[in-house]
Amino acid sequence: MQKLDLKITELDNPDYSRILGRAEKRIEEAILNAIVTDQTHNIEIELLSFPIAIMMVATTKDAFLKRRYALAEAKRVYNILKQETSKQKLTEVAGCFNWKIKFARHEGSNAQTSAADFTVHFTNYLKNAGGFHEDKWKLVNRTMLNGEVYITKDEAARLLQEEVRTHVERKLETKIDIKLPQTVEKEVERLKQLFNTRRGKIRQEEMPAESVLEAFPPCMRQLYNMAPTGRHISHVGRFALTSFLLNSGMPIESIIEHFRPTSDFSEKMTRYQVEHIAGGRGSRTKYIPPRCDTLQTHGICPGMDEICRVHHPLAYYKRKLRDMKAQAPAPTP
Amino acid sequence: MVVDRIQTQEFIQHKFARYYKENSGNIEPPSSLEKREYAFLLFRDKTMLRHKGFKNAEGFRAFLLRSAPSDVYYSSAYFEKPEAEMDAKGWLGADLIFDIDADHIPTQCNKQHDIWVCKNCRATGHGTKPEKCPKCGVQKFTEINWLCDTCLESAKEETIKLLEVLEHDFGFSVNEMKLAFSGHRGYHVHIEDHAVRTLDSIARKEIVDYMAGIGLKITAYNIEGGYGPSFDDLGWSGRIAKGAYDFLLNATQEQLENIALKRKPAARILGQKDKILESWKRKGPWRMLRDVRPDSWTKILRQGVERQSVKIDTVVTTDVHRLIRLAKTLHGETGLKKVELAANEIERFDPLKSALAFTHGTVSLEVAGAPQFRLGDTTYGPFKNQKVELPAAAAMFLLCKGVAGALEESVSVQ
Repeated sequence: MQKLDLKITELDNPDYSRILGRAEKRIEEAILNAIVTDQTHNIEIELLSFPIAIMMVATTKDAFLKRRYALAEAKRVYNILKQETSKQKLTEVAGCFNWKIKFARHEGSNAQTSAADFTVHFTNYLKNAGGFHEDKWKLVNRTMLNGEVYITKDEAARLLQEEVRTHVERKLETKIDIKLPQTVEKEVERLKQLFNTRRGKIRQEEMPAESVLEAFPPCMRQLYNMAPTGRHISHVGRFALTSFLLNSGMPIESIIEHFRPTSDFSEKMTRYQVEHIAGGRGSRTKYIPPRCDTLQTHGICPGMDEICRVHHPLAYYKRKLRDMKAQAPAPTP
Repeated sequence: MVVDRIQTQEFIQHKFARYYKENSGNIEPPSSLEKREYAFLLFRDKTMLRHKGFKNAEGFRAFLLRSAPSDVYYSSAYFEKPEAEMDAKGWLGADLIFDIDADHIPTQCNKQHDIWVCKNCRATGHGTKPEKCPKCGVQKFTEINWLCDTCLESAKEETIKLLEVLEHDFGFSVNEMKLAFSGHRGYHVHIEDHAVRTLDSIARKEIVDYMAGIGLKITAYNIEGGYGPSFDDLGWSGRIAKGAYDFLLNATQEQLENIALKRKPAARILGQKDKILESWKRKGPWRMLRDVRPDSWTKILRQGVERQSVKIDTVVTTDVHRLIRLAKTLHGETGLKKVELAANEIERFDPLKSALAFTHGTVSLEVAGAPQFRLGDTTYGPFKNQKVELPAAAAMFLLCKGVAGALEESVSVQ
């Protein structure tokens, strides 16, 4: 960024207009299509416009836009990598992120090894596949030998997409204290506006102000019903329930009241913990409940129902709310 | 030296203090000691002193001598500022740790030696504590968990499985896996390799699930088409084949029906058992018996997973801020010490010999009640309301377990 410092103040110089134009386009594509197109035929412009786009997005200080932009850039890379025919090239890209990657050697009769193109160290694999939900990405469903996970070329491209996404997100967190030229500032403002018109759509899907018990997933319903009977709830269970209730819009006071009948209830302790999870104390992080597979790991999932195809109790809740709304009769005037 | 009618707690603390005085020079703080948080459970009021930090080994040892704690812990995590409040510590990474404890393993002894006492109505019982007191319904218990050779042996077996997966699948060398007996009913494995330090809890959960076989898709095999796991397969697939084979080897009609096989296919499988087991070494039995459907085989393979899964404490591994007992320090519930051993020595390792910390003198005590137990080569008890004079290690064990009171200590002159 510092190297670019000179240029930044001169960005409105007509010589740079193509670079600036491409930077704006990248962001616009991200906002509208959630993917940045591949324009590598103009390699110089493509390279130079990237840091400028990063800077522009960073100055918006809009976390949601940043996430969307990072994902769109990552998808661009995925598309390029997927079409790449040279395995060597792919390992070079992976090498940029310090991956331990090798061409797969085929051992035994295992189907997963014979289809594999590469092996990658399990730490590189886990850092990137951790957020993927399909069964095939779970480490336990992979073939792993000596710390090396067998993957296909397409899977390598997908994991690299994730690596790029976090890389771009990190870049977007860089502090920027430079005053942008007015024309650029104006453009950032326009892109912000554009994004805001789309944001409204997502807002609509947000949850109602009050907690709707009927829309709770089975795990949360069970935990919620357990609390007043005084049955013991594990630490993970309490955390999951509390963070779920908070995110579903239940007020702190109601949650504390709900825990009151538990055998080892202490108002002071409960209040402290609930407020902490609500983000009112210490780190100010507002917690969300663990994902379904984590709840399964800790024995909290009581078994799934038909909506449980989702991977998160809050996703279940949102979907059930939507379904309920769709089924509800129209309000009479 | 003769000690007269000492308060039991003071007696234990006194003995712990002496242990640390004689041994603190041998107690090594963990690697990167200045980046770790330390915690001490003190005898006084049983309070936990947390967020301690040390710049060097001398400072740590001096504190150990001064406080003579009941238990000593350090964080698996590395912090910028270990002494700061939790949110301001600056997490830099954490060792990958595994905890295997008999508590999490179904054992032959069924923990019948464990005792629970209801804190409300004083009702007591044997075995794992109930969810709530059968008499008064309250959920608060005092527990006395015993150690028996069966518990320790099952913990050892699970640890051997863990080490095998860590080495074979995860590629850690014997030297990279730091193994220790916990001083109570289990084993700890630490991996300090740089590559694993920055794994977050989602990534660690994937490792837990790998160990425990959680989320493993057996349906991915094309059993209908005649393909199932085989002995030669890598990783879990080979393990499932072995586990299912072992299960079938000794399976009874009842066991097969218990895993939801219908009576007829179960009988067919048992009738052809030898042939089935023989076929396992070649293509597998998947299409051998016409009236045994793929879902029956899937159920049997599930048993293979169950047998091969490693029973670790899932919470410990996923927690990136975990406090762990420091090696060579004492366990407050047993008076035994946590001892390290090389991963390839575990088969021959006898925790009840190697973990003894108090090896001199005898103590007279009054034992309220205790099941039989072994320490070193000697088996003691069972005891019931009696005065006995026992070697220091056995006496300290009963005192720490809270089932005896100290009367008198005699130390042989060396």
